[in-house]
Amino acid sequence: MAEVEYRKVTKRYPNGVVALKDFDLTIADGEFVILVGPSGCGKSTALRILAGLDKPTSGEVCIGGAAVTKQGPGERDIAMVFQNYALYPHMSVYKNLAYGLRQRKTPKDEIKKRVFEIGEILGITELLDRKPAQLSGGQRQRVAMGRALVREPQAFLLDEPLSNLDAKLRGQVRAELKRLHHRLGITSVYVTHDQVEAMTLADRICVMNQGELQQVGTPQDVYEHPANVFVAGFIGSPAMNLVPATVADGQVLLGGYPVGPAPHGYADVVVGIRPESLRIEPDGRPGIPVTVDFHEPLGSHALVHAFVGDASVGVVADHPAAVVVQADADISPHPGQRLTLTAEPKHIYLFDATTGAALSTDQRARVAASLTKPAQ
Amino acid sequence: MASAAAPTDAPPRRRARIFRRLSRSENAVGWAFVTPATVLIGIFGLLPILWSLLLSFQKSDLLTPETPWVGLQNYRQIPGDATFRLSIENTIVYTALFVPGTMIVGLVIAVALNRKVRGIAVYRTAAYVTMAVSTINEAIIFLWLFDPSFGVVNSALHAVGLPQQQWLSDPNEALYVIVMMTIWGWTGFAVVIYLAALQGVPQELQEAAAIDGAKRFTIFRTITFPLLSPASLFLVVWLSINALQLFDEVYLTTRGGPLHSTTVIVYYLFDQAFQQFNAGYAAALAYVLFVVIIVITFIQFRIGNRFVHYSR
Amino acid sequence: MTTSTSPALDSVAAEQPPVVEDNGKRRRFRPHWPSPWHLVLIPITFILLVPFFMMVATSLETLPETRTFPPVLIPHHPQWSNYSHALNAAPFVRFMLNSAVVAIVVVVANLVLCSVAGYAFARLRFFGRGLLFGVLMATLMVPFQVTMIPEFLIVKWLGTNVWAQLGIDHLGALIVPNMATAFGIFFLRQFFLTIPVELEEAARIDGTSRLGVLFKIVLPLSLPALSTLAALTFLDSWNSFLWPLIVINTESHMTLPLGLTTFEGAHNTQFQLLMAGNVFSLLPMLLVFFAAQRYFVRSVAATGLKG
Repeated sequence: MAEVEYRKVTKRYPNGVVALKDFDLTIADGEFVILVGPSGCGKSTALRILAGLDKPTSGEVCIGGAAVTKQGPGERDIAMVFQNYALYPHMSVYKNLAYGLRQRKTPKDEIKKRVFEIGEILGITELLDRKPAQLSGGQRQRVAMGRALVREPQAFLLDEPLSNLDAKLRGQVRAELKRLHHRLGITSVYVTHDQVEAMTLADRICVMNQGELQQVGTPQDVYEHPANVFVAGFIGSPAMNLVPATVADGQVLLGGYPVGPAPHGYADVVVGIRPESLRIEPDGRPGIPVTVDFHEPLGSHALVHAFVGDASVGVVADHPAAVVVQADADISPHPGQRLTLTAEPKHIYLFDATTGAALSTDQRARVAASLTKPAQ
Repeated sequence: MASAAAPTDAPPRRRARIFRRLSRSENAVGWAFVTPATVLIGIFGLLPILWSLLLSFQKSDLLTPETPWVGLQNYRQIPGDATFRLSIENTIVYTALFVPGTMIVGLVIAVALNRKVRGIAVYRTAAYVTMAVSTINEAIIFLWLFDPSFGVVNSALHAVGLPQQQWLSDPNEALYVIVMMTIWGWTGFAVVIYLAALQGVPQELQEAAAIDGAKRFTIFRTITFPLLSPASLFLVVWLSINALQLFDEVYLTTRGGPLHSTTVIVYYLFDQAFQQFNAGYAAALAYVLFVVIIVITFIQFRIGNRFVHYSR
Repeated sequence: MTTSTSPALDSVAAEQPPVVEDNGKRRRFRPHWPSPWHLVLIPITFILLVPFFMMVATSLETLPETRTFPPVLIPHHPQWSNYSHALNAAPFVRFMLNSAVVAIVVVVANLVLCSVAGYAFARLRFFGRGLLFGVLMATLMVPFQVTMIPEFLIVKWLGTNVWAQLGIDHLGALIVPNMATAFGIFFLRQFFLTIPVELEEAARIDGTSRLGVLFKIVLPLSLPALSTLAALTFLDSWNSFLWPLIVINTESHMTLPLGLTTFEGAHNTQFQLLMAGNVFSLLPMLLVFFAAQRYFVRSVAATGLKG
């Protein structure tokens, strides 16, 4: 049983900074959970507390049902892959892999067997005699993973393991990680600031910001039902358009065009629409009025950057909101051109302008459900 | 290397002439820059090295200008010189105690200093301070601390019930007092070296080892200490070279006594040259010492490189 | 492009570009206070500094107090007069002046001559450069004991045949042989090599002479290395004992270590005077050390790391 639980974990530093606040999370056995968020959001702190490298100010951490908060990193039966790999430079790859097993007094033949097994799986058997300095970045990364996996830990922790690799290698290793997880099924906690990694690898994503958990859910969930503006703007590339809108006559207006009914009691809302959900209406048809700024052709599609509001009618605000539209490749509007945009109601998100929380009842219900237990 | 300002569109012959003029001016400038330092080092460094060799084949008392040639006589005298043999013994004993002693003390203190505690800068400064103390200051302090009648060390022994010692007046103990004195003096240096090396060991490696299940001391033994090996090798070599050349502390405390128990090689050399007026013999001794230092250093590097792990 | 109507939106916009690593924050925090490590550090520091404490304590005692057993650790009435007695017994101020003159001239000379030579070895191409550099570096391998006897003879000759100030028993004999060292050349050359060549090339294209490049571009960028070399050379010169011992005989020409030695010889049973003299002579170097600590530490670490 290698379930991982964070119970109300808080980390406050003597200078007042709160790195982690009341962090609650349950990770099921064999689940691959990714903590994602911008720098300073507390994700690495959470990981290090799980590893035992940092102590929480309050709260408990449990692995396999047992509270491990008081235990040191060596007693928790976890393994970690560091961002810079942290391979022991003075030892051969074999010795690096064997180190953890030797500390646990594993017999020599058992060590040899396991090292070669992992070597096979990761494709590093020919490297066993070499020292880390003689390996390429990708090879070192694999050795780092091997060192962690060879111990068959209860939980597998990864701290931005791909960020030191070049783009092409990153894609390859991402795929390998996914295959590895299917094969070995170890409970994994992974930290990254790259939401693409998070979306592609995770069983569940935890979006964090400024020490607080913003939302937990499957990648699809988090993408389709963001709990607040932060999650909405963080997940998805290019980022969701988040535009302040006005409320009049019970309708939410964007550039004067009604995009949906206004929720009761809110005067200021933020409208969120993903670039890929916006359609450019053919000439004349009603829609959100925008003025084109420039466009970026990308081959398979184009990104059109525009300002909400129609300059000629004089409804341009002091700071016109920018939107990005994902359009067909053959569209090439010129700067200054006026267009109208529409989107399906289910792709239009509403957020409270003050708190940032999601407003449509459908969104809120889903969010509430996902926060209580792991989605299975 | 052609200057960036050289015109490239000039005809070939003219280009060659310009390049030659530029490189010639490099020569002149180069030599002009180097000459003052070279002359000084030449007169006071190279010349003496060669002259010393010459001197070792002569008989000289540093006063009279006549220095008759005696061939290898000075060198042949060396093996039969009992005092010189004694000085070698003393030097070896001293080195064997001083080098590991300083390294261990330096390492222990550096490990203690390698943490981010508030006020750590003060502790570090305190550790470094012995570097600023000159040998005479050191000698005076330790002459006092180890004074047989009134020194603190004897009174501390008395307080614990152990017998008083004669320390620097005791032929069996004097050398060890000098060992302690010099370890104290060199601790600051060793701490600086080890602290710098410790700070070069990434914290992540120790964290990874902790996660792998290693306990504190195991982490130090298997991860940290091996990664300090370049610093350790440097200290072994540097401290040995200095130990083999020990002089100041001996002159300032015991003048080689009592009963030659603290006569080390360089002290004997000094004595021969400037007090016994056997400059030629002293020069021969000096060259022997020189060769010994080179050989020992070479051996240390050879052996050392097999154990030293240079990360990256 | 943020609007004031949506604070939530503003915070999102501010977060967008992830820049610094999460880990950077962890290293900046200040640890808890007080830490249990103080229990280890204080005793160690105390043991290291006990000799100093004893020295200062003794320097303030009366002669009878020093002759008690067990020794008096805290004097009953601090005898500040010990210091004036010591100063009268031997010309300490004179000693310090001599040491200072020698040290300062040696440091300045080294900085100038070794910069110029070091720069030439680093950047200029001239005939015989490699060979000359090798020969100069070889002199570093030879211990002082080999060269000291002939150096004595050379200095003696210079004193009688060139200029008396350079000869035996004069400060010139302490200064001139040390005005340039192979170590200084090596150290500065290594540093100059790390300065990007492009800076110098740009200046030369603008017409600056080699000397100008050295003084206007390279040296200003080399202040850390120069300070470090200055600190090291100063320490070396100030504490130097064997060579002054060989060369200087007259008390009024002695440097501090030598003067202190003579003082010790004359008063070796009057520990309180001895310690007073010792404290007094330690002070200048300690002050310099505290002021320039950074450079001393760096200079030692540099020799260690390059080795």
